[in-house]
Amino acid sequence: MPAAVESPSATPLARKVKHRFFSPARVWALATNTLTELVRLKVFYFLLIFALLQIGSSLLFVRFTFQGQFQMLKDTSLGAMSIFTSMLAILATANLLPKDVEDRTLYTILAKPVPRFEYLTGKLLGVFLLLLISILVMGAMFAVVLWWRVHVVAGEILSGGEPPDAVNQNLSELYASAYDPALWAGGLIIYTKAALLASLTLFVSTFATSSIFTISVSVAGVFIGQLLGTARDYWQTTGTLAPNSLLDVAFFKPVVLIFPDLQAFNLVEEIIAGAHVAPWLVAKTIGLGVTYVLVYLFAGYFMFAKREI
Amino acid sequence: MTTPAIAIRNLTKVFPIPFKRERLVAVRDLSLEVAPGQVYGLLGPNGSGKSTTMKIVLGLVPPTAGSTEIFGRDSQEVDSHEEVGFLPENPYFYKYLTGAETLRFYGKLCGLSGSTLRDKTDELLKLVGLEHARDRRLGGYSKGMLQRIGLAQALVQEPRLLVLDEPTAGVDPQGSAEIRDLIVSFKERGMTVLLCSHLLGQVQEICDRIGILAHGVLVREGRLEDLISIEDQTEIIFRDASPELLAEIQALVARSYPKTSLVETRKPRTTLERYFLDVTSGSASRD
Repeated sequence: MPAAVESPSATPLARKVKHRFFSPARVWALATNTLTELVRLKVFYFLLIFALLQIGSSLLFVRFTFQGQFQMLKDTSLGAMSIFTSMLAILATANLLPKDVEDRTLYTILAKPVPRFEYLTGKLLGVFLLLLISILVMGAMFAVVLWWRVHVVAGEILSGGEPPDAVNQNLSELYASAYDPALWAGGLIIYTKAALLASLTLFVSTFATSSIFTISVSVAGVFIGQLLGTARDYWQTTGTLAPNSLLDVAFFKPVVLIFPDLQAFNLVEEIIAGAHVAPWLVAKTIGLGVTYVLVYLFAGYFMFAKREI
Repeated sequence: MTTPAIAIRNLTKVFPIPFKRERLVAVRDLSLEVAPGQVYGLLGPNGSGKSTTMKIVLGLVPPTAGSTEIFGRDSQEVDSHEEVGFLPENPYFYKYLTGAETLRFYGKLCGLSGSTLRDKTDELLKLVGLEHARDRRLGGYSKGMLQRIGLAQALVQEPRLLVLDEPTAGVDPQGSAEIRDLIVSFKERGMTVLLCSHLLGQVQEICDRIGILAHGVLVREGRLEDLISIEDQTEIIFRDASPELLAEIQALVARSYPKTSLVETRKPRTTLERYFLDVTSGSASRD
């Protein structure tokens, strides 16, 4: 402890820095802090599992035709990307708010000139950054493994002793089946879905009393979201769900209002299968995800603004 | 007239009890003011409403009725927080951050950046004696170090008001004395301090004014000296007084002042805290 205490500044900093109703700098400070917290909690370890899965699947299907190999690799990789990012979105978000409340860190943050909306936005943005890094790293791993398999198969074609025309034909087919630009759109949809689940989880945590409750409700949201479209189609086909019927008004509409229709994000499966997906459909799906994110963020703020901490 | 640092007017806070029709009145019609530059002790047993009052003053909890102001601004408004630094009881900051990173984080929340933020971080680490631990993660800090980094984050935007909830809870006597000295230095710098503590000896040493809450009601309030002095008694302390002199004084009082009685003659004592610090100051090595 120093012996002497320095004299106060002539003009206190609090009055030098003008408070603003919404400050992107404050939100960014909260976001980067959240990202640092999650990174230092070693959440990226799951990427090792993804890497092992990639290498394993690429070796497992080596006896297939190259079209079969690449299809299985895309199925496995994008499927794993979807599952991992969704799990990460829920698990990483669920404990952020409860932990800050439990540790009283939230008091020290909200006792500073930080509006609650900025706090929530910063936390969510931090998780978005984490998901972005995760999906970019997984995408890069996938690209490396894909490139490696293409390289191996191309070598086999070139050394196969076939006539030049057949070699060129085979190489063209090889590159066409391996590199599909639409996979980028698939990655974007996976990211949007994970962002949606993170915002749903943050919303639930604004009124939940424990992390277990938050995780349970969010996982239930995933299942309900996946089943919504199927249930609607079934009920409408069988005539059970007539518009404005009791089932529609008392059950279906409230559920649709609360839980996202995640079937829209199954578009990624068509992209993996190589089907042509119109760009407007991709944009519509991403738009749907962004809308849900905003709705959950504002709903979360509405709950959090009234919460007595 | 000077604007009070804290003005609490007719404050009432009622908490509904979930699944019951009952309600808990945590604070009832509380009014008090804290003048700028004062160290004010808010005292009371557990459950007396101290923490609720503190949270309302900090804008963390809305009042059921009444109002609270910080330097004339409604404390429920976020911009009033520019003037306040807060250290909660037993704080756990982000333990994955280092001391310097913690201060930079809180500084950014207050709108500081660049060289201003760097200089402020260095200055505060020096002030609270944590320069040597600036790059150590808070997970490796002792309780006393955590309290000191907590004080530093509370000071990052140079607030005019400090709200401290049990700032020395769980800290060893030496760390506790250091924190007390810091609070005294804040007072010398003209800062206002609202202090909640169960360590009444420490409160007595540093507070100008106190308020005592019981069951959500302010039962006593005023200048510390006025509240605790015994009006009909006088204390005189001599150095090197011989037994003969003391006997003579006693005889004089008995002989000449029949209405005056000698209540007690004893040697003044130091406090156990001072004795402990004197004994350990040579051997203790801090954190």
